[in-house]
Amino acid sequence: MSEIDRIIKDHSLFQCLECGKCSAACPRRLTGKDYSPRLLAHKVVAEREDEAFIENAVWDCLSCGMCSERCPSGVKFSGFILEMRTLLAEKKGLKGYRAHDGAVHSWMRMMAAPELRQNRLDWVPKELQVADSGEVAFFVGCAPYFDVFFAGIEVDTLSIAKDSIRLLNFMDIKPVLLRDERCCGHDLLWTGDRENFERLCRLNYETFKTKGLKEIIVSCPECYLMLSEHMPRVIPGFDIKVTLLLDMLQREVRKGGMTFRGLKRRATYQDPCRLGRMAGRYAAPRDLLGLIPEMRFAEMENSGPSALCCGNCGFINCDAHSKQIQVQRLQEAKATGADLLVTACPKCLIHLTCAVRDRLRHGSMKMEIRDILSVLADQIAWYGGE
Amino acid sequence: MKKKSADMKKGAEKKRTRVLGICCNWSPFACYLAAGMNRLAMPPDFRMMRVMCIGRINQALILRAFEYGADGVILLECLDDDCRYGPGPGVGHENVRRVRKLLHLLGVDQERLVECSFGAHEKEILVETLWRFDDQIKALGPMTEGDALGVKRSVL
Repeated sequence: MSEIDRIIKDHSLFQCLECGKCSAACPRRLTGKDYSPRLLAHKVVAEREDEAFIENAVWDCLSCGMCSERCPSGVKFSGFILEMRTLLAEKKGLKGYRAHDGAVHSWMRMMAAPELRQNRLDWVPKELQVADSGEVAFFVGCAPYFDVFFAGIEVDTLSIAKDSIRLLNFMDIKPVLLRDERCCGHDLLWTGDRENFERLCRLNYETFKTKGLKEIIVSCPECYLMLSEHMPRVIPGFDIKVTLLLDMLQREVRKGGMTFRGLKRRATYQDPCRLGRMAGRYAAPRDLLGLIPEMRFAEMENSGPSALCCGNCGFINCDAHSKQIQVQRLQEAKATGADLLVTACPKCLIHLTCAVRDRLRHGSMKMEIRDILSVLADQIAWYGGE
Repeated sequence: MKKKSADMKKGAEKKRTRVLGICCNWSPFACYLAAGMNRLAMPPDFRMMRVMCIGRINQALILRAFEYGADGVILLECLDDDCRYGPGPGVGHENVRRVRKLLHLLGVDQERLVECSFGAHEKEILVETLWRFDDQIKALGPMTEGDALGVKRSVL
């Protein structure tokens, strides 16, 4: 059995009925891009000699998971794309147009060098309580890098990390921050560079172990997906608990004692694909936002399992169609009458902020976009507190 | 002037370092040609990439030089007012400033990335700058034991 046959079988592509629901829901297809998940599935199953088509189409996917969500036959399309990319990249090299000329991927690959000694914790403000050693660590992710690189579009991803630590401090947790933490490897894995992804996993695991950690708290959905799902596949006997900060907050709030200060805003929520469709967390962010008094909450036309992608994944293939998806998403947010768009992933924040700033739109897309953790950290309080 | 640096090099024969110069086609390249015409010695580990303008180079391309195994990168650009296209050197300053911040995060010495402006007649200064930068990188040493920090690829 060839490698492609195995991939097809593992992801149930033979179950495809060619009903076309995937293509009818694909955000890339809907913006007029010449890409169809249904046709790709057909070609790969029945017309594999059309190599040029398959090789191109595999790199066009946003991996947002909308097709798998709609598929009545349970085809795991995103997983199929992931493995096909890995396979094709090994044979024919990394393809896919890399946004920002691949700067993001460059620093991620450089982090795969074991001899690197990063200075990634210069930003930690004095008022935050962090520990040098302990059993619980907070995984910062690429925020310090994004903060430098995306300074031009005035997006503050580092504030998500700061607000996460504020929330942890509020819950009496002094997390360990890791100086030698590496990228989680999400973008490298999804762009086909499995070799360096695995190298990052091993380096990270080594760091976790030498620090004697038992639990890692993660705020970014992409890091969560990598650490909780993909890292254990690379490292046999992976025995570290990975906790999503949103889950932890929800648990702690249920225990009682915490409350939120009022926020007079009308908000709507963008489901990140890694948090929603891939990790199934639809309720947690909504429950938490619902606890904020005076805030009015409205859902967008496409929300929950059918939420629209923020237009890009893994920083490849950002093009006019990506922009169109983003504009459509922002229009949906505007249509709710909201003045605050809450999201839960730094990538959504970056991509949607980029679209808001589009000069050709003359500021008509203008809207405040914030991460859910920042919103919660600003409002959280103890009962009976000031 | 050149002899002194050449002698210094002989003393420390360690792993070779690799220095990449990204050179603007106009003033700095004119200097480079004139230096060649005058047979001024260049550092042996120096490689040059000629571009039409330093404004063509973005943060990603500078980072990628390091990813592919450069131990030092020097941007050779025109004087601010000499740019044939307008904003070239300004773009260079901004990119170097930002990439240096990224290098700092990565724990790579910021001195490994340098920019320098030249008038079209300054061939001696250009050669001297290259030797000085080469010495500086030799003093810092190679970035890794292997081929490159990132993917193992023999690009440079």
